[in-house]
Amino acid sequence: MTGRQDKAFGSGHIDWWVVAIYAALVLIGWVNIYAAVYNESQAGVFDLSQRYGMQMLWIGISLAVAVVILLVDDKYWHMLAYPFYGVAILVLLAVLVVGREVNGAKAWIFIGPVALQPAEFVKFTTALALARYMSRYTFNIHDLKDLLRVGLIIAVPAAIIVLQNDAGSAVVYGAFLFVMYREGMNGWLYVAGMLAIALFLGSFLFTPETILVLLVLGCTVAEGLTNGYWKQKIIFLSGIALSTLIIYFTSVFFITENTEVFWALLASVLVSLVFVVLYAYRHRLRNVYVYLVLFLSSLVFVSTVDYVFDNVMQIHQQKRILDLLGLESDTQNWGYNVNQSKIAIGSGGLLGKGFLEGTQTRFDFVPEQSTDFIFCTVGEEWGFVGTSIVTVLFCLLILRLMKMGERQREAFGRIYCYCVAAIFFVHVVINIGMTIGIMPVIGIPLPFFSYGGSSFLAFTVLFFVAVRLDAGKRELLRN
Amino acid sequence: MGGQRVKILQLLTVAAFAVIILRLFYIQVIDSEYKNKASNNVLRYEVQYPPRGEIYDRNGEFLVQSKEVYDLMVVPRDMQQFDTLMLCAIVGITPEKLQAELDKAARYSRRLPSVVMKQLPKEVKVKLDERNFPGFYTVYRTIRSYPRKIGGNLLGYVGEVDRRAIERDSYYRSGDYIGKSGMELSYEKILRGEKGVRVNMVDVHGIAKGSYADGMYDTLPDPGPAITSTIDARLQALTEELLEGKVGSVVAIEPSTGEILVMASSPSYDPDELVGRESGNNYMTLLNNPRKPLFNRAVMSRYPPGSTFKVINGLIGMQEGVLTPDVRYSCSMGYTVGRGVKCHSHWSPLNLIDAVQTSCNAYFCYVLRNILDNRKYSGIREAMDVWHDYVQSFGFGTTLGSDFVDELKGFVPDAAYYENKYNGRWNSLTVISLAIGQGELGCTPLQMANLAAIIANRGHYYIPHVVKEIHDRDSIDARFYEKHYTKVDPHYFDPIVEGMYRAVHMPGGTAQRVRLDGLDICGKTGTAQNPHGSDHSTFMCFAPRDNPRIAISVYIENGGFGATIAAPIASLIIEQYLNGEIERDYLVQHIKSMKVNYPYYDRQAR
Repeated sequence: MTGRQDKAFGSGHIDWWVVAIYAALVLIGWVNIYAAVYNESQAGVFDLSQRYGMQMLWIGISLAVAVVILLVDDKYWHMLAYPFYGVAILVLLAVLVVGREVNGAKAWIFIGPVALQPAEFVKFTTALALARYMSRYTFNIHDLKDLLRVGLIIAVPAAIIVLQNDAGSAVVYGAFLFVMYREGMNGWLYVAGMLAIALFLGSFLFTPETILVLLVLGCTVAEGLTNGYWKQKIIFLSGIALSTLIIYFTSVFFITENTEVFWALLASVLVSLVFVVLYAYRHRLRNVYVYLVLFLSSLVFVSTVDYVFDNVMQIHQQKRILDLLGLESDTQNWGYNVNQSKIAIGSGGLLGKGFLEGTQTRFDFVPEQSTDFIFCTVGEEWGFVGTSIVTVLFCLLILRLMKMGERQREAFGRIYCYCVAAIFFVHVVINIGMTIGIMPVIGIPLPFFSYGGSSFLAFTVLFFVAVRLDAGKRELLRN
Repeated sequence: MGGQRVKILQLLTVAAFAVIILRLFYIQVIDSEYKNKASNNVLRYEVQYPPRGEIYDRNGEFLVQSKEVYDLMVVPRDMQQFDTLMLCAIVGITPEKLQAELDKAARYSRRLPSVVMKQLPKEVKVKLDERNFPGFYTVYRTIRSYPRKIGGNLLGYVGEVDRRAIERDSYYRSGDYIGKSGMELSYEKILRGEKGVRVNMVDVHGIAKGSYADGMYDTLPDPGPAITSTIDARLQALTEELLEGKVGSVVAIEPSTGEILVMASSPSYDPDELVGRESGNNYMTLLNNPRKPLFNRAVMSRYPPGSTFKVINGLIGMQEGVLTPDVRYSCSMGYTVGRGVKCHSHWSPLNLIDAVQTSCNAYFCYVLRNILDNRKYSGIREAMDVWHDYVQSFGFGTTLGSDFVDELKGFVPDAAYYENKYNGRWNSLTVISLAIGQGELGCTPLQMANLAAIIANRGHYYIPHVVKEIHDRDSIDARFYEKHYTKVDPHYFDPIVEGMYRAVHMPGGTAQRVRLDGLDICGKTGTAQNPHGSDHSTFMCFAPRDNPRIAISVYIENGGFGATIAAPIASLIIEQYLNGEIERDYLVQHIKSMKVNYPYYDRQAR
């Protein structure tokens, strides 16, 4: 057994390419933390009173842990998956009681001078537990009972984190949806989900009339594409237009001058549904009912969005969404972070201002610049060249992790690797997207870049377990 | 199935990162808006004002000095709690006023500096520096001071730029100072120097973080070079003293160079009044004064030249060959043809020299008619235009091109003017008043002084100017070195000079009382009728007769006969200039005590 360990670590089964990408990202990340908090009066790189010093310490600890992971037999991870998951849930619950609040989230515990954010490690344990459950021989993703259990494994930690008032971190658990897709989850659910998101955004961007028109047009065209009968589609659409006009003007002249087009259109569309049912019955087209349901549920969805937005969401969440959609802008208050972040990144230009020359980041214009907005330092000091290198490195890392998953022989390893890839994907896309204004502001760290010992250690563990699983399986293959 | 899903996931990953990279490319490489915003965030441009160039007189005496003062500025965003009363005590302001200023500044901008108080003396600045009030700082400025308190209109004044000047010239920013009139205006571009700028970086709290790019983009202010003017301060002071209480103007020129030795306009004002915090109020007082002290009469008022103009007609007549100096015309109290022109008593008949000496009206009526009815020309119209061109060659009816931007052209009528005025029905008798410098003629005192210089030079002039030397340049504008000849040959000037000499030195001359032996003054008096009351008193002269060193025109509104006020003033100026001192104290006292009434101006005051 020890011999196998030595082989695993020493004989080149490790995917050194992916480790090299990791090392590059860690190095670039540390350099940028150094730049973000750099101050002429403190020069020592290992000064533990400075963030770059602390981060250096955490990098050291993490590398030690990584070596241990590579040395330990990979089958332990399968074995320990459930116990780890259980312990992690208990710790999370404990934090809920004894944790300390930082930036509004009660997510921290302090052990002596060391502050830890357990939620960061729960991603790892959840990935393990999920991999173990979904790799069961009897697991069937189309079985509702199994699916519910998977949902439970994901939702329990996510729910506790929401209770900690850290909704941003909970969003990351959405990453597992990608893994489930890989494992054969019904693709139409994802299409429906994306439609829902599109409708959600559309309900902010367009007027109700426009959405209604788009829905009618969309459903009619989709139905036409499957069944043909285009002539009837044209008659149908002109009928709706005509009856809308009639209803509208009748109402204006005989009921009230303040008639809204939307209501005339809605009335006309609802009446037309009778003809749709007749059409489906006559031609014996059962799939028409699918489109009918799709149409009606979209209508209901859009009208609930308004209600949810106004009555369920908190004001800062509403504003972040409006800001992202470009519907409102207030650069002095809640839009300040993103605006300053875009200025810092945008001012970097092609080649950047040079190491330690970033004025926006050095003079504190960007808030949270060593944690959530660390990417600004990259953008300002290293320019487009720097940001694209970092982005490409992350992209390669994620693709490599997916490849590592694909070459696993057992489902456990594959699912785990995909979990890691998905978690990295969500973190990177949301974090970078937020700094350049294409994602809402969700306070989650950029892996290996953002300052923070817990997240760095957690990402390292997450990553090296995947590397170890990969190395183990490749070794097996060769034997 | 698995393979397809893997591909979709890979595609999704690549697509997501591609979107990020495209967006990064857009905001980092294509859109430059963020770079400007970043500069706005970090860079603070601090203007460094240069001291304004000083002005010396021709003998190196200060006419205008620059005094160092400090404006107290505030950046509201950077302000912290401070001892309001202490600040008020130091700068001498009430807390209410201070609060009002701070509110105003905050309304204007929280980020940009605003002026709290202007023109604080250096002692106050030192005290402020000792205390250090965060958010407040002082800016070096210079203001003008006038050691001799002379030459208000000549030197002009300096004030804050108005909106129009800012729009015209991007050099200026709100609150900058700019020359508003006189030399300050015409030599603004030289005197102002070049502003410098210091580019500082600040952090998000507005706290200074040092110089940007090690001062690579900083520029030092370039002080405005000093100017040595052609003015003789002592002569200018004497002139202003003599003009006290009178309305009018004196211009003295060095004929050999065109340098203006004296340019006085009366009433004048103490130039120090237009400096400092009270300048606004003082300006309004001066502006509302009916005698218009802010009006530089020497270059901006249009007077009839009167009898001094006769010499030009004499010169044109000789050049045109319709007059020889020996020709005699008789005159008994006037020219009797047509409506007639009256004259005073003198011997008759007389020749050209006598006519200049006695200022005979009739004689020059004959001369003008000879010029205008010259058979050489097709008719009055052509002859009139010939006459007009001659007169213009003496610098009348056109700006001389001096270094005063608001110099007036004056007016010399031509044939077209009379055609229009008289509907084509006019002849040499219609315009006979031109013979004696009346009628439509209008000229500035500067043009009349230039005429004196032309006669002194026997036929040429240099454009009158007030700047002798600009301290960082080898030469002044090239146009001031150019000799301008009139259309009259130099040798025709001799009888005119002789007549002007006799006017001062011989019995029967019109200006004998200004004679002072040794000065050899040659002069011509003038008494110009005008519609606004008593005649204007004017005198044009130069001295000495040979190698003249000074040419003067004195014009006193409503002063009566030319010999009464204008001639003695000119004589005293010449005495001072040529002898370096004045012996005729009685004459100075006499002139000073002389009171002239100005019902026309003072009526407006009520």
